[in-house]
Amino acid sequence: MQYAPQLYSAAMRLTRNTADAEDLVQDTYLRAWRSFNTFQEGTNLRAWLYRILTNSFINKYRAKQRRPDETGMDNIEDLYLYKRIGSLGSTLGDRSAEDTMLDMFTDDEVKDALEQLPENFRLAVLLADVEGFAYKEIAEILEIPVGTVMSRLHRGRKQMHKLLYDFASERGLISASVPTAETPSAPAGIPDDPISTTEAEHA
Amino acid sequence: MPDSDDEPHASDANTRDLTCTEVDCNDALRELEVFLDGELADHTRQAIHTHLDGCPHCLEAFDFHAELRTVIAAKCRKDDMPKGLLRKIELCFGNVERDDGVVGSP
Repeated sequence: MQYAPQLYSAAMRLTRNTADAEDLVQDTYLRAWRSFNTFQEGTNLRAWLYRILTNSFINKYRAKQRRPDETGMDNIEDLYLYKRIGSLGSTLGDRSAEDTMLDMFTDDEVKDALEQLPENFRLAVLLADVEGFAYKEIAEILEIPVGTVMSRLHRGRKQMHKLLYDFASERGLISASVPTAETPSAPAGIPDDPISTTEAEHA
Repeated sequence: MPDSDDEPHASDANTRDLTCTEVDCNDALRELEVFLDGELADHTRQAIHTHLDGCPHCLEAFDFHAELRTVIAAKCRKDDMPKGLLRKIELCFGNVERDDGVVGSP
């Protein structure tokens, strides 16, 4: 029962509404209880519970239509967010970077950004970045190869960062087209021209 | 970044044999995600660590992403569990028969 709050949060990110999230958590506990005899002592109880949760989600709540493979916004450059807001922290006084970031995005924005990801990506990012599972555990939970986990994480995180940037930009925290952080491989002063990327994605 | 934007992600990070003298900024940044995931092979992780020790630019990028993950994890865990959900779960177990025949609460 100690995992209930975490499972509920995960269920919220997946189903995006409280009624379904409650149902999903109850379903999960019910199935866990029913099949507890198949759980082996000493193995990872938490991962086992999350496997049941994600299976229940996939079977019951996931969008029924077969979408083409979720390419979504696939032309986002690496380090998209960092290049645009990476050095903002240092311009906002001597608060820690974490404090600055905590303030830069509201709780709802961060949740929204995750919830807007296509489900495959959302599951991977949720399990890795929120729940802290290792690649191997995620692979077992989702029944996919480790390589696929890594690919979904990479693409999912990029999309999420882009969404976070859009939120910050809408709130006027950033001037839209100026990259702020120097990255070592890009000489300073070379614009990244994010506008064309964004337009392509919104098409 | 000059040449890695359109390349498939290097999912073979663990098979690359990076040594201290070989890690440049491009290498380090390419492995950033896997490094922060704690999934790099020891020698690769060590090589990147060494690079970070001497490269404030890369260190800043790594720090940024590490902080961002902390923030994402914290904010995505903030949900008020509906009152009564725990109770409902407990009540479920009262009348449910387990696969091995046991009935009742855990």
